[in-house]
Amino acid sequence: MRFEGRCWKFGDNIPTDRLVKSRYVFEPMEEIVKHVLEDLNPAFPVEVRPGDVVVAGRHFGQSSGRAIATKALRATGIGCVVAGTFARTFYRNCFEIGLPALEIEGIADLVSDGDQVGVDVARGTFTNLTTGVTRTVPPADPFLLEMLQEGGLIKLAARRPELFGSEAVRSS
Amino acid sequence: MNLVEKILARAGGRASVEPGDIVVADVDRLIMHDLSGYLTAKVFEDEVKLPIRHPERVVMVFDHHFAPATERQAAVLKSNREWARRHGIHLFDCGSGNIHNVAVRRGLIRPGMIVVGSDSHTPVHGVLGALAVALGNDSHAGTVLPYGKAWFKVPHTVRIELDGVVAPGTSPRDVALWLVGQMGEGSMIYAALEFAGPYVKALPFWDRWLFPLATVDLGAKCGYVEPDEVTEAFAAGLPGAPYDRMERSDGGEAATVRRYDVGGLGPQVACPPTVGNVKPVEAVAGIPVQWAELGGHGGGRLEDIRLAAAVLRDRKVHPDVRFNIVPASREVFAEAERSGLVLPLHEAGATWFPPSTGSNQAANMGAMAAGEAMISTHARNFPGRNGSSEAQMYLASAASVAASAVTGHITDPREITADLDRPGSR
Repeated sequence: MRFEGRCWKFGDNIPTDRLVKSRYVFEPMEEIVKHVLEDLNPAFPVEVRPGDVVVAGRHFGQSSGRAIATKALRATGIGCVVAGTFARTFYRNCFEIGLPALEIEGIADLVSDGDQVGVDVARGTFTNLTTGVTRTVPPADPFLLEMLQEGGLIKLAARRPELFGSEAVRSS
Repeated sequence: MNLVEKILARAGGRASVEPGDIVVADVDRLIMHDLSGYLTAKVFEDEVKLPIRHPERVVMVFDHHFAPATERQAAVLKSNREWARRHGIHLFDCGSGNIHNVAVRRGLIRPGMIVVGSDSHTPVHGVLGALAVALGNDSHAGTVLPYGKAWFKVPHTVRIELDGVVAPGTSPRDVALWLVGQMGEGSMIYAALEFAGPYVKALPFWDRWLFPLATVDLGAKCGYVEPDEVTEAFAAGLPGAPYDRMERSDGGEAATVRRYDVGGLGPQVACPPTVGNVKPVEAVAGIPVQWAELGGHGGGRLEDIRLAAAVLRDRKVHPDVRFNIVPASREVFAEAERSGLVLPLHEAGATWFPPSTGSNQAANMGAMAAGEAMISTHARNFPGRNGSSEAQMYLASAASVAASAVTGHITDPREITADLDRPGSR
């Protein structure tokens, strides 16, 4: 799960309402994807390229549990999303719908919009290829990484239904 | 174990759990509204294609629409209705009220349950001693509907203790807004929050409601008030079969305690662009508003309507303001009518709307033009959520909303009347 591309940088406390505005929720994804984060950076939905990386500050994806926000972000073609912290439902949705996510404290201080960055989500490594700064963090829980590798929760449950008929996945 | 750990252990079929464990647990209740329900049903029918394991545990409430305003909305509701009937789930159609109020009032939430839903304010049900967590559509479609289960990471717990006597004219809504401002949005990510301390424990049920409601914007997974005699008395009055699972903590003390002194606190306003931008009402007094509303997840309670009636007694709504009142449930409207609150507010110039979640996301009311402003009891103030991204939403108590409706600008309710500290409004 390695990605390399342009960094699109966003701020703190970005709500899902700004990823996908309520008025677009029932539109087809081809339409929704043209408006992702447009209020915060009109160039983003137009110029984003496959493999690019969204980097945000604290509490990215605040509020709504709608997985449509993560699905729309995935549909832009980005490789992964990195944030200082994520809103918990958004973080959960990322793994459940197959959008790689990595939490790195203070990441917003390490990048400028437009930098080239490299991320390995499974290993928890981040490199700002423009400045040479690197960070390593503990990667996500193995259960979540397995979900990502399967392409999301629905595919995981289809392949391993016993996970949801048995009592526990893992104890600490 | 504390309340959250006990519920997860029971529902996961384990003797004990610890923070950080991942547990697959039985879900007792899935609640969806007309928007999230539509998205979940679509994922379920397109990608999962299995029967619903426990349809009797699934509830859909049409609350964003009290009546569809467009053909597209009508089609969404029709599709939801057909889906609900086909699978035999509980359905509460337009006009029933706000999703969370309806679920509680109809006896569908019980202490000790695991409650999940896509609405981000689902954690409010911790007020009844349930473990209530917002999940995404794919959890609901992928595991809750077909297997009756969901995965959970056991959260660490933070106890928030509130103590002190607030200033006259200050309501629990002001305290809850202030707390989010003090703690900071996203400051409690992944935590379970126990709301405690003498201030919280002295509140009646519907005022306690406002605290677990705030957990989502603090970033927490869930929030709760440890069940006590207030919880028991409220739960005993709910319709339906008696419950037998009032879980209580038996040790496993919260690892972290945060204490806040609310002594002397006055009315607060959460200003755009986010719910954490909280200021004393004096700091924003005088800003013109064209809209005022009691409604949403945090408002439209009988307590709110009583406060508004106290403010509007012998006063009129300002001609430049539309003051809309949206009861949180049919039961609230009936109680307001029986309490003699409906006609006086109507005659003061307020407009009664059908029970629903009101202007939340402006699905069928509450859109604003650029440059307009609203003050409301709603839970959210993000730009673009109510019409134009250039419109402003201010979140406040029912007293501040009603006082602003009288003057046409954001107003400290203590300047309008001293008659605000009535029973149930502390």
